[in-house]
Amino acid sequence: MDVELIEIRDFIAAHHPYDMLPTEALDTVATHLESRYVRKGRHLINPGDTVGHVYIVRTGALETRDPSNELLARTGEGETVGAITLLRGGPALNTILAIEDSLLYALPAETFHDLRKRHKQFAYFFQPLGGERLRTGRAVSNRGHGRLDLMAVHLGDMLRRAPVTIEPEATIQAAGERMSKEAVSCLLVTRDDKAIGIITDRDLRNRVVAKALPYDTPVSSVMTPDPLHLTADDYLFDAMLMMSRHNIRHLPVLRNGALAGVITTTNLVQAQNTSAVYLVGELYKRDTPEGMRDSLAMVPELILQLVETGASAHTIGHMISTLSDAATVRLMALAEQRLGPPPVPFVWLAAGSQGRHEQTARSDQDNCLVLDDSYDPDKHGEYFRAFTRTVCDGLNICGYVYCPGEVMAMTDQWRQPLKVWTSYFSKWIDQPDPKALMHASVFFDMRPIFGNHALFQNLRSFVLKKTQGKKIFLAYLAANALSRQPPLGFFRNLVLTRGGEHANTLDLKHRGIVPIVDLARVYALDAGAEAVNTLDRLELAREKGSVSKDGAADLRDAWDFISTMRLRHQALHIREGKKADNYVSPELLSNFERTQLKDAFSVVKTMQGALATAYQTGRL
Amino acid sequence: MLRHLLGFDVIRRTFWLRGKPGPMKDYYAVDYATLDTPWHDVEFLAIDLETTGLDPTQHEILSVGYAPIRAGGVLLGEARHMLVRPTRPIPEETAVIHGLLDDHMESAPPLEAVLPEVLRALRGRVPLAHFATVERRFLSFACKRVYGQPMVVPYVDTLRLEQRTLERRQQAVVQGSLRLHAARERYGLPRYKAHNAMMDAIAAGELFLAQVAYMDTKAPPRLDEVCSG
Repeated sequence: MDVELIEIRDFIAAHHPYDMLPTEALDTVATHLESRYVRKGRHLINPGDTVGHVYIVRTGALETRDPSNELLARTGEGETVGAITLLRGGPALNTILAIEDSLLYALPAETFHDLRKRHKQFAYFFQPLGGERLRTGRAVSNRGHGRLDLMAVHLGDMLRRAPVTIEPEATIQAAGERMSKEAVSCLLVTRDDKAIGIITDRDLRNRVVAKALPYDTPVSSVMTPDPLHLTADDYLFDAMLMMSRHNIRHLPVLRNGALAGVITTTNLVQAQNTSAVYLVGELYKRDTPEGMRDSLAMVPELILQLVETGASAHTIGHMISTLSDAATVRLMALAEQRLGPPPVPFVWLAAGSQGRHEQTARSDQDNCLVLDDSYDPDKHGEYFRAFTRTVCDGLNICGYVYCPGEVMAMTDQWRQPLKVWTSYFSKWIDQPDPKALMHASVFFDMRPIFGNHALFQNLRSFVLKKTQGKKIFLAYLAANALSRQPPLGFFRNLVLTRGGEHANTLDLKHRGIVPIVDLARVYALDAGAEAVNTLDRLELAREKGSVSKDGAADLRDAWDFISTMRLRHQALHIREGKKADNYVSPELLSNFERTQLKDAFSVVKTMQGALATAYQTGRL
Repeated sequence: MLRHLLGFDVIRRTFWLRGKPGPMKDYYAVDYATLDTPWHDVEFLAIDLETTGLDPTQHEILSVGYAPIRAGGVLLGEARHMLVRPTRPIPEETAVIHGLLDDHMESAPPLEAVLPEVLRALRGRVPLAHFATVERRFLSFACKRVYGQPMVVPYVDTLRLEQRTLERRQQAVVQGSLRLHAARERYGLPRYKAHNAMMDAIAAGELFLAQVAYMDTKAPPRLDEVCSG
């Protein structure tokens, strides 16, 4: 290699999976590359093309679309496109087109295959699915303990029913009828007991209804021929990878060459749920906080898998918060075992992100205790002090570290009878000073975890009655919601954090997610809505008219995009053995992701502007 | 322009017939593609020289970098970078610009040893450069001095192509907007940090691919549509 090519080699070396290659192999890569240019809107690969290269994106972005124009993948800077076609062999099936002006480094097939042969980790990244991938996967993966059992469950064990089939000559109307009657979302098209195609509800929508085809069109003309499939001996993990990689939702499974059934995304999500449910079961069996901590060590791995399966940020937040709830409940049961039954009724409330069902990898604990008004500090104080101390200490051991602002049930101020809590809220709402607003935003997001739910209902209905339509308080809360602005500059450029540990990054939590959460809280309280989850709040507020329909939809998308990006970022950090944080470097994002992120931030900015006008926060 | 370009063939043929055996005769023995060839069937050689100045009679070539372009791709693995030993000490201001120091240059081969390599790479290929005047004049002068014959060949000049595009779009050509990096930015091409003859040749080659992609011709542009003569 000419030493001057170092710059190009270093670019390649900075991106996965090339970063796993030794220097000599990287030199080989660099000396086999060709620069290619694809203008925005033009095609790199068309169906039927013979593909002789994979392409590493230097600048720009590309999309892969299947023949029905369904988006399969987006490829940005540093990522590789064309590998699937090359590995499958034969002419290309999909279209790859540039959605931005793109400079690509083309790597010849021969060199690519040679690299795969010589470097296991590299091969693993691109591996076609199958048993071999599993074996090398185990050798390469150093994630260690805590793996959930996706690698141990055979697809054959997941099949619940025999496949529902149809003959290729049948009409699509008959296909629709059979799907509806059998309550399935796909049919296998068979001839002589062999699957020659697959037809899904999505195909009926995209290829039939959208194209206004007549109902007597034969199934064979709209089916996907020769569908991808796995065998009964393959693992659930294989199915998950194949489905997420190809963005498909149905996967036929063969046993001894004959059709055995179909695995769907619903099956996968259920399996994931099973993992979470299993984890809850395990937590309830533990007798010490240390034991619970060991069970919860699986949580990052669970998040990783959920992100990989394409679960929404909403679902993941729910699942993780449910696990925290379970840990809290178990700790309370243990405390009761030690201290005896509580002398007066109480309810334990989760606040903050756990209250909203929006926890991520690891969160602080935010909680409080509401006691029955028959509580007498002299008689019962000692019991509840010890009780809350035990639970909060236990949560800290489990990894939900003490809240820096001391918003915890073990703090005397936040362990009070109902009448004291109502006086707290009255004071916050009537005299909204900055500290009051800070407390309000934490405690307005409360959710009962354990104990006497009636106590919570009383408190909540009191608060909602007091806040609904209370314009002055809402105006202060709105002004507070505008205190954190998205990091967009004058020219819609991203403004990065200056100096300090997180210099030149974007704080996705405080500048992206928190502003949306704050907006949703204002809308919900204005509407008197009970919900605390941000997406639920947006939905209810939209129904009651405290936010516009488009505004609610835009904020929902923005929340989903930023949250998903944050989860992926955290999952990657965890995989690399680093601590999960909220700081993303825009250099690690593709142009495309950056553009989307700017769009999401713009939505927040627009909605903040609308809120400022609606509540006249400028006049406060 | 077509007739002018046709003239190249006659002259090149004459030089080939009259030339003494050696690198120059070998160079003229192989012709580049005919002018009606679609551009992606033509082989180009993106080339960049670093020199001590702009006048070939007074200044010297310090380094040569090149990269072939074949079938719409810049072949990075076949890109080369060669230093040339100057006959006189390098003026200080040049050394600062190019980051080339005298002691690097002392171990470099003289122009007579580098030129055959360059001619071999150019054989059957159309040279391409950003502001090709420098490359055209220095290479031709060097060939004449070493082999007694000038180098007669049409060039692709990415600077002139860029100027043409801007003029057609009636955009003002402001100072600096035709420079290699400014032009590359317009096409979303990355900014390469290294500045040496080879990376600049690659950069010019990539710019050419982008320029061609943006030519709004129905059929792929032909050689005579990208050549500046």
